[in-house]
Amino acid sequence: MFRLLKGFGVTFNYFRKKKITIQYPDERVVMPERFRGIHRFFPDKCIVCNLCVTACPTDVITLTGKKSEENPKKKIIDTYNIDFQGCILCDFCTEVCPTDAIVMTARYNNLSSFNRSEQFKDIEWLSDNHVYGYYEESDRVPEMGERGEQK
Amino acid sequence: MDLLFMAIYAVAVLGGLLGAVTYAILFERKVIGYMQIRTGPNRYGPWGMFQTIADVMKLLMKEDIIPAQADRKIFVLAPVVAFAPAFMVFAVISWSENLYAADLNIGVLYFLGVSSMTMLGVLMGGWSSNNKYSLLGAIRGVSQMISYELPLVLSVLGIVILVGSLNLRDIVFFQQDVGLWFIILQFPAFIIYMISAIAELNRSPFDLPEAESELVSGYHTEYSGFRYAFYMLAEYTYAIAIAAFATTLFFGGWLGPAFLPGIVWFLLKMCLFMFVWFWLRATLPRARVENLMQFCWKVLIPLALLNIVVTAIIKVWMGW
Amino acid sequence: MAIKTETMTLNMGPQHPSTHGVFRLVVDVDGETIKRVEPVMGYLHRGSEKLAERFVYTQFIPYTDRLDYMNAMTNNYVYCAAVEKLLEWEIPERAEYLRVITMELNRIASHLVWWGTYLLDIGALSPFLYAFRDRDHCLDLLNEISGARMTFNYMRIGGVKWDSPDGWIDRVKEKVKVLRENINEYDTLVTGNEIFQSRTIGVGKLTKEQILDWGISGPLARASGLKMDIRKDEPYSIYDRFDFDIPTQEEGDVYARYKVRIAELYESLKIIEQACEQIPEGDIITKKGKRIMMIKPPAGEAYTRAEASKGEIGVYAISNGKNKPYRIKLRRPSFVNVAILQELLIGKNIQDLVAIFGSLDIVLGEVDA
Repeated sequence: MFRLLKGFGVTFNYFRKKKITIQYPDERVVMPERFRGIHRFFPDKCIVCNLCVTACPTDVITLTGKKSEENPKKKIIDTYNIDFQGCILCDFCTEVCPTDAIVMTARYNNLSSFNRSEQFKDIEWLSDNHVYGYYEESDRVPEMGERGEQK
Repeated sequence: MDLLFMAIYAVAVLGGLLGAVTYAILFERKVIGYMQIRTGPNRYGPWGMFQTIADVMKLLMKEDIIPAQADRKIFVLAPVVAFAPAFMVFAVISWSENLYAADLNIGVLYFLGVSSMTMLGVLMGGWSSNNKYSLLGAIRGVSQMISYELPLVLSVLGIVILVGSLNLRDIVFFQQDVGLWFIILQFPAFIIYMISAIAELNRSPFDLPEAESELVSGYHTEYSGFRYAFYMLAEYTYAIAIAAFATTLFFGGWLGPAFLPGIVWFLLKMCLFMFVWFWLRATLPRARVENLMQFCWKVLIPLALLNIVVTAIIKVWMGW
Repeated sequence: MAIKTETMTLNMGPQHPSTHGVFRLVVDVDGETIKRVEPVMGYLHRGSEKLAERFVYTQFIPYTDRLDYMNAMTNNYVYCAAVEKLLEWEIPERAEYLRVITMELNRIASHLVWWGTYLLDIGALSPFLYAFRDRDHCLDLLNEISGARMTFNYMRIGGVKWDSPDGWIDRVKEKVKVLRENINEYDTLVTGNEIFQSRTIGVGKLTKEQILDWGISGPLARASGLKMDIRKDEPYSIYDRFDFDIPTQEEGDVYARYKVRIAELYESLKIIEQACEQIPEGDIITKKGKRIMMIKPPAGEAYTRAEASKGEIGVYAISNGKNKPYRIKLRRPSFVNVAILQELLIGKNIQDLVAIFGSLDIVLGEVDA
């Protein structure tokens, strides 16, 4: 008849238990290595193969290349843009990239803006996006401490 | 001189009440938060002390919106009508042995009579907003509050029979003389009172008039800004009033071991009541409309009547 | 003497708190009794099926994530399985096990969301937060393995994208224990509660005939006494290797659906435990599957179906031998299940509307596709 009273025990039990809230701006969730966050781009590694552009389901990547000055046979990247308004962070660009020039970082909180045009990120911004993600990078950026945190 | 004293007392109570409501809301949010394994508000001030103040500031600074199709006069009046009776009943509450406003001989009657007027505010608000959800909420609210007024009154009658007085102070003095609180002498009445009080206050699990998953926000859907704040104020004031009334009736008012002053005991007992309500809200789902009415008319009212009869027989038999 | 009453039209949604997204119900009510219901959908329509035609096969996988975003793994699976059927590929063992574990974890997450939001609709506040805490256990695990919390994009045609990280299987085993304990607690908190029972028992009854007529599947069908579960009836992936029951109830009311879903949580936990024990070492994707842009199935048609948390999800794929599908048709369980609403709600009151509508467990991403 009064099985509902049992529920009071449950809620009261939780009343005493430790709380699990993460106080967001002060403490942040540590995302796992594989987390598909915002991209990082390495211009030196890029061979302008255009695979990421083809693989992108939302057509948000645009790039142009130019002839390398030292080696006229090689192409180097000139512009590289991702329009984050449309990006669904599906990871295909990094999956197809033969040289791991475009990778995904574990960062998830640096895209908010008041303006849609700010979502259009260029090569400079993308190569500056220093956060560790799941990618092999010989020269890890030393000044980074906590994941996603600038020291 | 009397008039001046009354005015000062009223303002003091109003001020105290505003503070009490502020912290009642914080208390509620904290209790429910803790029960839901989160911490509740903790951004403004230590332990979130200024959260409600910030909320109220926000509400006061908002634009005052009156829907174009609303019945303007009634719409404006409704929050006031809801608040006034909830505040008026504090006149007869006796906070401690010496601290009280009116030593009214018909205190119980006054309290019940005046407090039942709050439903007018609900009806006016729901009707005048010209919103379908508000209307449905108001219909639910009024039918519920009228129904539960009966068991509420009937449950109190047993105490009145035992004491032989409608004076709230006499009821406390009686408990002092007997040495027992009425929660022991009148336990069935206490249970009935608690249940119908929750329904009167539109609190969970009987919060049908403002069931947010069904009626958006019930009768105050269209209210915003300070008018909404007024409704919230009325709701919590009424909750405090009901808790104070229950403390007086069932928990011996200001009685308690002498190491704390009477008023502290009174407030502590009220807090206990409030805590139980918040606990209910954190635990139970919302009741069904039909069950709510059936429960009132088929269970609570007969039980309350039975309680009165038994109390009357005992009273005559024992010759109190 | 009858009192003259008037019906009024109530627009519930698209921004009503209990429509769980952008769904609109035009309801004619007499007092609180519902006389007529008209569901309006399509606010979230993105044309997924049409979009599929302009994608290479692999590129459509993230879009299946966004159908039923509560249960994206199964969507991932069923699409990949359809293409694999066209290709007639053998999938590596380990990949199949990883698929099953992730799918069942996701089913638990999905059912927990349902449990929490449903009780929020009914008016209980705390279960919502408890459920989301436990859902987070599942999502954290899935996040570790797939790199996203909801839109996993984890499965690939021919296998899965990642192998499990170090110690992941052990963590799953640990969490299974935690989840089982917590679900027991939910039982104590809600299932026996008389107020909850009064809200749900006898409400929104569906008969077996209605289920069959309207093509309803999933927990809704099982709650009406139909013992149908594609995991058992037509075992896909490697579900025939696990020992689990299909929970059914006879009543067909909201309470029965609730009980079926709670029982399914336990069954899913059972499957995960067994899969974690049995999982072999090995490849996680076929050799050809690694070249994700190069998949080109021979011309033909394939239909695969799977048991999502909402019901039977099916993908019908037609290939004309090119690297893009000729046509993809999605059978979305939420879309099929929500159709019954019109019949189910007549004569009920608004309170029951919320209880019944919530019990269908629809996700608008899937209804509108």
